[in-house]
Amino acid sequence: MNTAIGAIENCRFCLMCRHVAPVGHITHNESVTPHGIALVAAMQRQGQLTWNPSTLDVLYAEPDGGNCRAHCVTDQPLPAAIAAIRAEVADDGLAPPEVVRAHDRIAENHSAFGSYEPATKQGEWGLFVGDVGFNLAQETMRAALKLLEACELDVVSVGCGLDSGFIPCSLGYPRTAQAQARLCIEEVQRTGIKKLLVLSPQDLFAFLQMHQERLDIAWPEDVVIIDLVDFLASQVPNLKMIPPAGTAENATAYVDPTHAVRLPRRFDAARTLCEVALGYAPLELFWREDRAHPVGSTAIQFTRPDIGVRLTEARLEDAINRGAQSIVCDDPVTLYELRLRNESNLHIQGLYETLLTQLPPHS
Amino acid sequence: MEWTGLQPEMVRSELTEIVGDAHVSTDDADRLVYATDWFWLPQMWLDRGEIPRKPDFIVRPKSAEEISAILQVANAYRIPVIPWGGGSGSQGGALPVFGGIVLDTKRMNRIIEIDEKSLTVTAEAGINGKQLEWAVNEKGLMLPHYPASANCATLGGYLAPRGTGTISTKYGKAEDLVLRMQVVLPDGHILRTPIVPQHAAGPDFYRLFLGSEGTFGVITEATMQLDYLPECRLLRAVLFEDLTDAIEAGRQIMTRRLEPFVIRLYDPRSTASRVKKILGYELEGAYMVLGFDGDKDIATLQEEKAMDIINGFGARDLGREPGEAWWNHRYDFYYPPQSLKLPWMYGTTETVTTYDKIEKLYFAEKKAVEEGYKEWDIDFIGHFSHWFHWGVMVYTRFIIRNPPDDAKEAVRLHNRVWNTAMTAVLENGGMVNEHHGVGLKLSRFMRRQYGDAWPLLDRIKKTLDPNGIMNPGKVGFGH
Ligand SMILES: Cc1cc2nc3c(=O)[nH]c(=O)nc-3n(C[C@H](O)[C@H](O)[C@H](O)COP(=O)(O)OP(=O)(O)OC[C@H]3O[C@@H](n4cnc5c(N)ncnc54)[C@H](O)[C@@H]3O)c2cc1C
Ligand code: SF4
Repeated sequence: MNTAIGAIENCRFCLMCRHVAPVGHITHNESVTPHGIALVAAMQRQGQLTWNPSTLDVLYAEPDGGNCRAHCVTDQPLPAAIAAIRAEVADDGLAPPEVVRAHDRIAENHSAFGSYEPATKQGEWGLFVGDVGFNLAQETMRAALKLLEACELDVVSVGCGLDSGFIPCSLGYPRTAQAQARLCIEEVQRTGIKKLLVLSPQDLFAFLQMHQERLDIAWPEDVVIIDLVDFLASQVPNLKMIPPAGTAENATAYVDPTHAVRLPRRFDAARTLCEVALGYAPLELFWREDRAHPVGSTAIQFTRPDIGVRLTEARLEDAINRGAQSIVCDDPVTLYELRLRNESNLHIQGLYETLLTQLPPHS
Repeated sequence: MEWTGLQPEMVRSELTEIVGDAHVSTDDADRLVYATDWFWLPQMWLDRGEIPRKPDFIVRPKSAEEISAILQVANAYRIPVIPWGGGSGSQGGALPVFGGIVLDTKRMNRIIEIDEKSLTVTAEAGINGKQLEWAVNEKGLMLPHYPASANCATLGGYLAPRGTGTISTKYGKAEDLVLRMQVVLPDGHILRTPIVPQHAAGPDFYRLFLGSEGTFGVITEATMQLDYLPECRLLRAVLFEDLTDAIEAGRQIMTRRLEPFVIRLYDPRSTASRVKKILGYELEGAYMVLGFDGDKDIATLQEEKAMDIINGFGARDLGREPGEAWWNHRYDFYYPPQSLKLPWMYGTTETVTTYDKIEKLYFAEKKAVEEGYKEWDIDFIGHFSHWFHWGVMVYTRFIIRNPPDDAKEAVRLHNRVWNTAMTAVLENGGMVNEHHGVGLKLSRFMRRQYGDAWPLLDRIKKTLDPNGIMNPGKVGFGH
């Protein structure tokens, strides 16, 4: 048995992260809170429940956004436990068809959303673009590369269209996830990269934590993994940006991307960049920083698309309720999902795209 | 016992008409999850492979009007309705012991108004406690009800069992903070209590709903008193050699109205076990955390005066750090695996009485429990944490680390320990509970608790709820 599964024996007795549990908030249903999911999983193991459409609906309702663990005093790895139980369900041939289909697509193409194009260049610095960044949100990728160019860095784009292993792991397919993780590492090694900037927090979380903890795969020690937001925030003094003119104060809110709660260092860095991009400190959402909620961009878009859509809509509603006219975010994965579901007048801005417009000419 | 056939289908279709299909559930998983709250017994029952009584329906209404319509359906079919907030109650108050409709209030989570002049917030009853606190914090305010369950409990769940929070010693219990409520009566009638609680326009009938734990109706909205977030919180810890001295020091601080926001006094057994386990301090004696808040000058002076009293008992001043560590980690006690959890058997037999009786009561209960269950190697620990001008609450707990494996035997032992503890409490002038409520757990002690006054409460219940649909089996009604 995967040792993470032991977490359900704690979480089933606990309600202490309910206040930050995003799926509980949008469904108002006890069963799909950390406690409820753990209880259902534990009762299935004890024989008081079987896997059927209703119980599987609960098992697949967890978004793997990390909120529960980020607020857990005893650091219970509940998302990993749920992924491990999903793996058992998949091994037993009980995974829902849409989950199987999403997995098969990744196993075949290395990508859930399009195609994977391995890098051909070599260099010391790399940018891991990822699956969504390459296949669905190229403008963010291009803006990020241009900003890095302005920092006078020669950067190799890697992982173009490549799933980092996050989605298959979360879906309950650890062997496919391991294969994806190895592909990521192989590509970085092949291109000679020693400093790997990562565009999306989803991939960053996979590299910094998930690969080791859930897949037992270690990154080479000589590769330094860096959050792009952190790096760019440190470069602000060198970039000599021109402050924007004529933007209404406080009209734009910053959306902490999915997985931000797992990477608390980025809270301040992202806001530093927002201030540069907007000319003022961004409006703060209610669900921000250490209580930031995910959008439906994780594996939930395949496991429970109904919940995924609601998660994204809830982020948009949060911004509207705060009086925002536009929102800004750095993560291509979160941005893509927000744009896909936005039916309001909210303007959705990429943080890197906005920053780009403030670079001095000829930089 | 499953309820099948035409009738449940009729009920389901009527409930669906009221709240919409998405908000009525009869799913396996939901019914099992809503079959247990934080009461040890149903959790143990499940843990030992048994299935507690499940609700027939879980319904999530969005408004008082929807609740009113649901209660009318329940009256027509004579089926129980059990209000459910966060399910964090430890007394079995939200258990569907006769099946029926679990009415989850969490969709009713709007903040209706924050009045920054009168310092009040009006919110729907299903709002999560922590989310409500965050919202008022953004205005520099706080709802000074800080229970350890704020992360999971709801506003309605604060009020229905008359909860108490960590800073109640200065700010009062949840019931002291409520100005006004909207309630749906068992027959579906929706009422609002008067705008303020302190007046002379007739009897204080709104208090009937506080502590009724869903047996007199459903609280759907409440206006609560807020306070400014304090400018400072001064915390420190002191160590007494003797529990008697520590209780007396606490009494003197309270009766001289020095206004601590917290006095948390651990008995020697708790000091040696819980304080050591969670805070890492190895100490012998009675550990007391003392806190003063608000204006810095006033708080400093209050603390000085309190320390004069404490020094008079020769207690050791441990300084600020252990007091602050306790404040910062005060909820860590509730996260498993460091919380109490199965397969252990445990129960919180907290009680309250006046200063003249409290010590005798505490030692009588301790003796009765420790001597009565020696063969089970029972542990009895306690802390005194909610202090009043006239007395104090003691949060006593028993723990049996090797309880019977057999579920039925475990139920019998658990109930026997409770009988012993509550008999000691009642014989020594205590209340069967100070803040967790009565629920199912203490129902059988209510007649003894109230004596001659009980028939009045029973009559009120029968008048308000002639069909007995509201949360049957709880708060002593029907016992
Ligand atoms: C870890 C932990 C720590 C705790 N710490 C504290 C503490 O410090 N102080 C404290 O007082 N309690 C504490 N409790 C006990 C419990 O959480 C509180 O009593 C809490 O306020 C219950 O709220 P809830 O919303 O979870 O209510 P539930 O458990 O859902 O319900 C409790 C009772 O109230 C009734 N009810 C709920 N909502 C309504 C409503 N809207 N109208 C009418 N009836 C309703 C239910 O039917 C039930 O009888 C703790 C519990 C846990 C698990
Ligand atoms: S993750 Fe931690 S806080 Fe959340 S339910 Fe599990 S034990 Fe409790």
